[in-house]
Amino acid sequence: MAKRMPALVAVALSAAIVGCSPAEQQDPQVTINVNPYPSTYQVLPNSTTLLKNAIVLTGTGERLEDADVLIKDGKISAVGLQLVADGAVVVDAKGKWITPGIIDVHSHLGVYPSPNAESHNDGNEMTNPVTAEVWAEHSVWPQDPGFNRAREGGITTLQILPGSANLIGGRGVTLKNVPAATMQAMKFPQAPYGLKMACGENPKNLYGSRNELPMTRMGNMAGYRTAFIQATEYKRAWDKYDADYAAGKNPVAPERDLMKDTLKGVLEGDILIHNHCYKAEEIAMMIDLGKEFGYHAGTFHHAVEAYKIADLLAENRNCAAMWPDWWGFKLEAYDMVLENVAMVDAIKNSCAIVHSDSGVTIQRLNQETAKIMHAANDNGFELTEQHVIGWITSNAAKSLGIDDKTGSLEPGKNADVVIWNTNPFSVYAQAEKVFIDGAKVYDRQDPAYQAQSDFMLGQQ
Amino acid sequence: MTLFTQSALALSLSISLAFGANVAQAESLAIINATVHTATEQGVLNNATVVIENGTIAAINPNNPKTDSVIDAKGAILTPGFIAAMNDMGLVEVGAVATSRDARDKEADIGFDPSFAFNPLASTITFARKGGITRNIVTSGGGESIFAGQTFVVDLSGDFDSVIANNTGLYVELGATDEGSRATGMQQLIHQLEDTQKTLTKTQKANKSDKDDSDEPSREDSIISAVLAGDIPLIVAVDRASDIIHLIKLKQDFELDLIIVNGADAVLVAEPLAQANIPVVIDAMRNLPESFDSLHNSLENAGKLAKAGVKVAIALPGDSHSVYALRYSAGNAVANGMDYNDALAALTANIADIFHLDSGRIAVGKPADLVLWSGDPFEFSTRIEKMWIAGEEQSLHSRQDELRDRYLKKTDMPAAYR
Repeated sequence: MAKRMPALVAVALSAAIVGCSPAEQQDPQVTINVNPYPSTYQVLPNSTTLLKNAIVLTGTGERLEDADVLIKDGKISAVGLQLVADGAVVVDAKGKWITPGIIDVHSHLGVYPSPNAESHNDGNEMTNPVTAEVWAEHSVWPQDPGFNRAREGGITTLQILPGSANLIGGRGVTLKNVPAATMQAMKFPQAPYGLKMACGENPKNLYGSRNELPMTRMGNMAGYRTAFIQATEYKRAWDKYDADYAAGKNPVAPERDLMKDTLKGVLEGDILIHNHCYKAEEIAMMIDLGKEFGYHAGTFHHAVEAYKIADLLAENRNCAAMWPDWWGFKLEAYDMVLENVAMVDAIKNSCAIVHSDSGVTIQRLNQETAKIMHAANDNGFELTEQHVIGWITSNAAKSLGIDDKTGSLEPGKNADVVIWNTNPFSVYAQAEKVFIDGAKVYDRQDPAYQAQSDFMLGQQ
Repeated sequence: MTLFTQSALALSLSISLAFGANVAQAESLAIINATVHTATEQGVLNNATVVIENGTIAAINPNNPKTDSVIDAKGAILTPGFIAAMNDMGLVEVGAVATSRDARDKEADIGFDPSFAFNPLASTITFARKGGITRNIVTSGGGESIFAGQTFVVDLSGDFDSVIANNTGLYVELGATDEGSRATGMQQLIHQLEDTQKTLTKTQKANKSDKDDSDEPSREDSIISAVLAGDIPLIVAVDRASDIIHLIKLKQDFELDLIIVNGADAVLVAEPLAQANIPVVIDAMRNLPESFDSLHNSLENAGKLAKAGVKVAIALPGDSHSVYALRYSAGNAVANGMDYNDALAALTANIADIFHLDSGRIAVGKPADLVLWSGDPFEFSTRIEKMWIAGEEQSLHSRQDELRDRYLKKTDMPAAYR
């Protein structure tokens, strides 16, 4: 109610002005603050660092032997052979492997934290099938010990999403995996917001069981379309307001609507879709839904059947984020194949991603990738380490709209880097050192770089 | 061994007779030049020969093996088939499809025997074989009682006689509870043991005094009496150290064959567990403080327990759809400090000992449950070359392979025709 007041006041004001003045005088323009909870992230202490003599997977498909990575001012400065840098901290990485920091596009750390407790179950606003107005960042508990475990597995960036009970579940937020007391201090600067949507069984089962729409998959589609019709009208109202104002008129600003703000952001291309959607036929319809309302359908998460429509995904430039081997917990997850990611990846212009959706497997996305690479290579594929690393780095960055900043070891990119003790696709691989923006945030050999959550401190 | 094998046998028998061959030879196989991880005190045998006859391991490194067929392993690793435990394999096809689920029952209690629901044709079984798993201790998911029901043992042949034994253990779930106090669960267990013991004593006295009017023990009492006699293990899922301490005492008071499952805090009481000879079946991938009962979950726990002298088995308890990945859990345990041989034993000999299976080792007289690997069995790059259950070679082909192949093929017609 309070939120409506300014608009009502504005109406009254403009009516008064119009009433007593022939020349239209403009009120201050009403604008929406699109970044009310801005990032306060600060790079941790860092210095010029030279990582020497490693096998380097760049994330762009290249593999360099005996190569060096130079980190300067928090950025990748150079990747190549026999680099030198005055005054650099030198790390001998002989026999070790270096990759870009690992990125998980699908995590619920912080919103479904450990320990699992009613007090912290903040990941899913299961009160309405469309809750575009909620933002996952407002639920993040930064002390979730899972963030630290994920960092020990090489995770430098992750998207925290709302759960999948709703057709439109709310905004996701991309975080840098640094220990912090506040969500804002983890927030990835300039990363676009995501919007969680969900196909299939979860929304229809939950609301169907309450005798509410959606009870069916056609109900699901009706729900998304209704929401985007409203959002289209909302956007039109704001566009008209802005145009009229720009033309020197003194229009009445539309009534602010938090839910439609987010959907308007989608229609304007500022908010990227992350759609929990398992099945081929539903993915195809969600792509068309985007076309119906003029937005891009984004990334399909848990896309267990993506291999059935790999061509369609590539043609429409949609990413698909997948597990290697989760299946059978629901009928929509029945048609799993271990080679799914490889089959999606095999098409030109594809964007295949391995994701976790789990506080456990987020710690080993390298191993999840290894399962797929080897299963595929046993069945006619010829995948290499330097190629598949892209599934958990550069492709993931692309899905999150941060591929200009991270996801590969290219000069100018953020120095998000992992040093592995061995081939990261071995079961024995462990991240030894992890850097975020050139700052060391984890060192397996040095307890000074092993962050622990407040929650774990002093537990007996 | 099986209905199918029997008919296949009959076929080979008639062919053999027709050609006058030795029938016994048709059953025998020598795997030569294998690197044999025996999971026994013999350790690893290089360039070894393992002879399979009539479904069992008949000889290891015999002088002059004469078998019907020979497989040259060319140095590849041969291990006992891996044994999975404490999951719902064959009881659930799709988790969210109620009519395909038989692992749980609201009324499940001491007498609940889920083996009557086991489906050897479940798609989880063919998929699990891809992980080198040859046997499984299947468990109920329980109901409202602390007594979840009985465990049973299956092989992964997918044959209709693949239930090897039922009522092999009584499964109990204790510890944190959403409602009420954990004390109630612990007391229920203790009281049940006490009450049955009293009933048994009374019955024995009555029998001695030749009074025939004494009641037959109830079905529940019969099962508890098997637990009290140590004939079947009491398998308790529990995490917190304080609960484990109570159970150690319970084992001593009633001389139970006790198995701890999960045991997040077991590392805190590793020494008393080792002294009391209580094995722990652990999910080696647990390292989050999922609840206040499991603050000590760590990737290092499996190795630490083994080093402390606790008999450790590694399992993926609960859902059975991805049990194939068990070998990767063992690899991760090794990466986090577990001795390699301990990790291998945790999937083979230890788990067989803990649950009283006759498999789990490569030794003469054991069932020929064997897996021939292309490399280190714990590595992602390793695939299974061949696999036998009780001497019978197994298919590694699953529904997932059919789906992959269908969609890799490119034809003008819809996939449904491929």
